[in-house]
Amino acid sequence: MIQARALTRTYGARTAIQGIDFTVGRGEVVGLLGPNGAGKSTTMRILAGALAASSGSVQIDGHDVFADPIAVKRVVGFLPERPPLYADMGVADFLSYAATLHGVNDVAEAVARALELAAVREVAARPIGRLSKGFKQRVGLAAALVHSPKVLLLDEPASGLDPVQRVEMRALVRRLAAGDVTVLLSTHVLAEVESTCDRVIALHHGRVVLDSRLDAIGGGGVVRVRVGRVDGAAAALAAVPGVGSVDSPVDGTLLVRGEGDLRAAVARAAAPFDLLELGSPSGLEDLFVRLAREDA
Amino acid sequence: MRVVWAIARREVRSLLHTATGWLVLGGFLFLTGAFWLALVDNYLARSGDLAYDPYSDVRMSLVDHLLAPFFGNVAILLLVVCPAVTMRSFADEQRLGTLDLLATSPVSAWQIALGKLGGAWAFVGLLLACTLWMPLALTPFGALDPGALAGGYLSLVLLGAALCALGTLASALTDQALVALVLSFSVTLVLWIVGWLNPDPTSFVSQISIATHVGDMARGALRASDVAYFVLLSGWCVVALRQRVASWRYA
Repeated sequence: MIQARALTRTYGARTAIQGIDFTVGRGEVVGLLGPNGAGKSTTMRILAGALAASSGSVQIDGHDVFADPIAVKRVVGFLPERPPLYADMGVADFLSYAATLHGVNDVAEAVARALELAAVREVAARPIGRLSKGFKQRVGLAAALVHSPKVLLLDEPASGLDPVQRVEMRALVRRLAAGDVTVLLSTHVLAEVESTCDRVIALHHGRVVLDSRLDAIGGGGVVRVRVGRVDGAAAALAAVPGVGSVDSPVDGTLLVRGEGDLRAAVARAAAPFDLLELGSPSGLEDLFVRLAREDA
Repeated sequence: MRVVWAIARREVRSLLHTATGWLVLGGFLFLTGAFWLALVDNYLARSGDLAYDPYSDVRMSLVDHLLAPFFGNVAILLLVVCPAVTMRSFADEQRLGTLDLLATSPVSAWQIALGKLGGAWAFVGLLLACTLWMPLALTPFGALDPGALAGGYLSLVLLGAALCALGTLASALTDQALVALVLSFSVTLVLWIVGWLNPDPTSFVSQISIATHVGDMARGALRASDVAYFVLLSGWCVVALRQRVASWRYA
């Protein structure tokens, strides 16, 4: 459904994405993961036809994004990181406008369906400017869905949503995928990817560093430790036989990497430093921490 | 066409939802009304004086002493009104990120440009329509030259269309409405006063001046060259606007 080949985008001397290749099949839910500045939003905007690539090609539903952008935009629904909403318009009026722009024939029916899908029927008559951030995000989602797109591009869709709304958003994405809609969602929230996606594509410094099904990513050989006294703990853990490296990411938590199951040995070594927590992170979390560490 | 209409309608609606739109509407109607009353008052006073002058056989024409100065005043108001109406057109969309909706919808750059411009034209058309009652209120008191009236309004419509096109183009060049206002007003002002550099009406600077082409039209004298001037100015701005909209993907 989506085929990106050698996609590159530069802004002056800065390269945002470089030689990106990936394919997304019909009905797949794929997470585009990466730290801030990895090139996720640039990639999404190119796919949505809002931005031209410097080189490379993208085919969506058999149409070339650059040669035939109108045909592509008819089948793509896009929710940018900052939803494009007119504060002076009512929710239903705004959705009618979005439906008209997308050439929908039965606008009233399309608006009613989008209101239902995004769970914003209760605010249909309210001006968008007076809605909470969560509702605004959902109205943006409704606008992306109003023309029943075959491909849905969601850039940080859970931003601004409370935990209940996040769960609802995940359920909606899964429902849409079950109805054969292809979803590509970009996020830097690991839980979003782990709970919603079939596959993950990780970007770092504008390049694809991982393209894998989620169940194929393992976290073996990594132990996450949280201790009360950090001083000296890293050195003690590094001395444990089998340990290759010890990272200390943001909150003082230590990530111990090595060969085999290290949990028992690491627990013994960490005990003198007031061991508070010990576990195995998911492969995705480990990957994300390693990427962040490369940036530090 | 449906899309162009939808964009234009949203544009008018947006103007009517902002203080700027209502300030422009109210200010324009107040000032045109004040100009009209002052002109009528002046006309009555002078024609009254002439009526009692036993040596005078001069008759004051409505066209020369009322309509032409009125249209001239309205034309000057449009120099400020059109940049104010169009300043937010694209600048706000860029600043607030709402341009993404248009950029990711299956609409062409032409449709976006014409829709935005159509909204501005409709709003300025509404402003001009609101002044129609003033000259029409004179019909019970004397024969009003319909040709002069139609010519005067056509000149205002053509001027308004060109200035809106210029203003919308300026709005597409920046994400700050105030910058768009200053830019379009400055260009408009230069195009107005450039003719003062050479009083010869056949000179190049006179021919590119808005004032040269408005002058005779305000008296109802329609010349093909005047109409062509405004059509070409509007057309050039529309084409440049379309190019600008199409270029956003490459920014």
